[in-house]
Amino acid sequence: MSNPLTDMADGDTFPVGLQKKAPLRERLVPWAFRAPLVFMLLFFAFPMAMTVVFSVFERTMFWMEPGFTLFSYENFFFSARLVNFLNSMKYSVISVVICFAFGFPIAVFVRKSIPQIAQHRVVLLFILPFMVSEIIRVFALRPVLQRNGLINTTLLDLGIIDEPITALLYTHTGVVIGEVLSFLPFIVFSGFLAMEAVPKFIFEVCDDLGVGPWRRFKDVILPLAAPGIFAGSVFIFVNGLGVALLPNILGGAGAVNAGLIATQAITALDFPLAMAVSAIMMTTLMTLLWVGHRLFDLTKILTPLS
Amino acid sequence: MNDYENILLHRLKWTYLLLVVLTLMTPVIYVMYISFNANGFGANEYAFTLEFYGLIFSDELLIGALRWTLMLAVVVTLIAIPMALLAAKYYKAADNKLFPVFLLLAPLFVPPDILGSALLVFFKNLNLTFVWLGDQLGMSLFDSWFRLSFLTATIGLIIYTIPYSFVVILITMGRYHPEQTEAARACGANGWRAFWDIEFPQIRAGVFSACAFTVILVFNEYTRTSLLKGGFDTFTTVLISQMLNTGMSGQSYAMSALVSFVAIAAIGSIIIFTMLRAETLSRVARAKAEPVMS
Repeated sequence: MSNPLTDMADGDTFPVGLQKKAPLRERLVPWAFRAPLVFMLLFFAFPMAMTVVFSVFERTMFWMEPGFTLFSYENFFFSARLVNFLNSMKYSVISVVICFAFGFPIAVFVRKSIPQIAQHRVVLLFILPFMVSEIIRVFALRPVLQRNGLINTTLLDLGIIDEPITALLYTHTGVVIGEVLSFLPFIVFSGFLAMEAVPKFIFEVCDDLGVGPWRRFKDVILPLAAPGIFAGSVFIFVNGLGVALLPNILGGAGAVNAGLIATQAITALDFPLAMAVSAIMMTTLMTLLWVGHRLFDLTKILTPLS
Repeated sequence: MNDYENILLHRLKWTYLLLVVLTLMTPVIYVMYISFNANGFGANEYAFTLEFYGLIFSDELLIGALRWTLMLAVVVTLIAIPMALLAAKYYKAADNKLFPVFLLLAPLFVPPDILGSALLVFFKNLNLTFVWLGDQLGMSLFDSWFRLSFLTATIGLIIYTIPYSFVVILITMGRYHPEQTEAARACGANGWRAFWDIEFPQIRAGVFSACAFTVILVFNEYTRTSLLKGGFDTFTTVLISQMLNTGMSGQSYAMSALVSFVAIAAIGSIIIFTMLRAETLSRVARAKAEPVMS
């Protein structure tokens, strides 16, 4: 099997013992393939790890200075911020459940009932809304959900309600609606990849054995597709906790998540607090991914792509 | 029960699928609808107009922001796509796939505000370190390397877009048979020629799709760009600041709709292009497979 890491190097081969040293250009080629990883280590992994260090720095008037203090963590854990954070966790879990209930059956349907050649095109349909800026989609929800918005006027015109529903916007419900509409495509994508692990004949075997849809889902599909479902759920949960614009634009009083706490801290020039929130979010994410990997081996999701 | 035995159930499932797509698109479609209304949002009477679109193109601030956005999109695409391609090649050959896949896909899971804040503080500290280093050495050469600028915004956006382009390219590479590279090498082609003449034409669609995705993602991105950009404005940062300061005006609706039109046109073109290409390829394959009648 050819190896791209060495294939791109344009070198002759020499018998052992007579091998001359390859020119510098050829020796550098395998490193070119590692360049993206080095870049990600330097500008992604390292800055994310440094949030822990910066979070214990001391706050100054406009910036921070090296030192060791746990004041930012105290500021987070012993204030209303913790209650807001835990509340946003609760609403993120609700969003995950709703996204799964609406999105996963679509992934199963596409894999099970649509010819293989057309499956990717159907999934592309879900990329369409995702390609419109998230902030525009969230802003666009305001005229849809507000008192004289599309939903209320339609329901009033149809005579289904007598008065406009006010709970749709500037409430936790509004945030959940925003999260579901923003992140639902991800459960379809991850579910679609996960369903690769469920061969089509399994459905026929279940039919032949007289297994009902619920048992088929619980005992066959769910265990096989677990890595993809877990990855999609973690994505929605973490983004529900961290995307500030959702509570900022759609939420009311008390609708505050970790992302909003971090951006508010930056606006208030409290950089150590912003870093403490980032560190807490990263710890939450890493813990979830580690647990998921131990339970389901998350690399299985990319097996179909390899 | 097989879906094809119960055609009504099959159609119901299709209807549900399309209904979900429509629901996801409803806010955007509604904004497009309002953007053509001279009387604006909530008016009883609908009067079609293109006036708000005209206002966009006569606004110099917006045109300047559009220029910056396009420049950012082009630079990020030119760097991120070759990086994603190299990363995908590395991933395919690597024995331990966990480390590269984790590193390349992890930015997907980090919320924009968290990544943006972490990079903002990191770059500010890095800049201070470089300034200090310059002071120690008695030179000002390092002073502006990591000051919030086009460079820091580019780095932030590469981190954001690389997982998407990596996955898109990896999907197309999955269909490529590496034996063809081996055959080319056996025929005397060097590594670069084998890649450029044999492999690249087969993964070209994926690479171009990744380019389109990257341009759209950069064009649409707000949080990371606004935190890392420094002194210039992009289309979305102008749009959002207008929305936050003056509320949704007719021009805001038109700007939102315009961005959405561009994105939908780009992704729609990709879908149509891939469908037409698949059709052409299958027609050619069928023609080749037909027995020669003499």
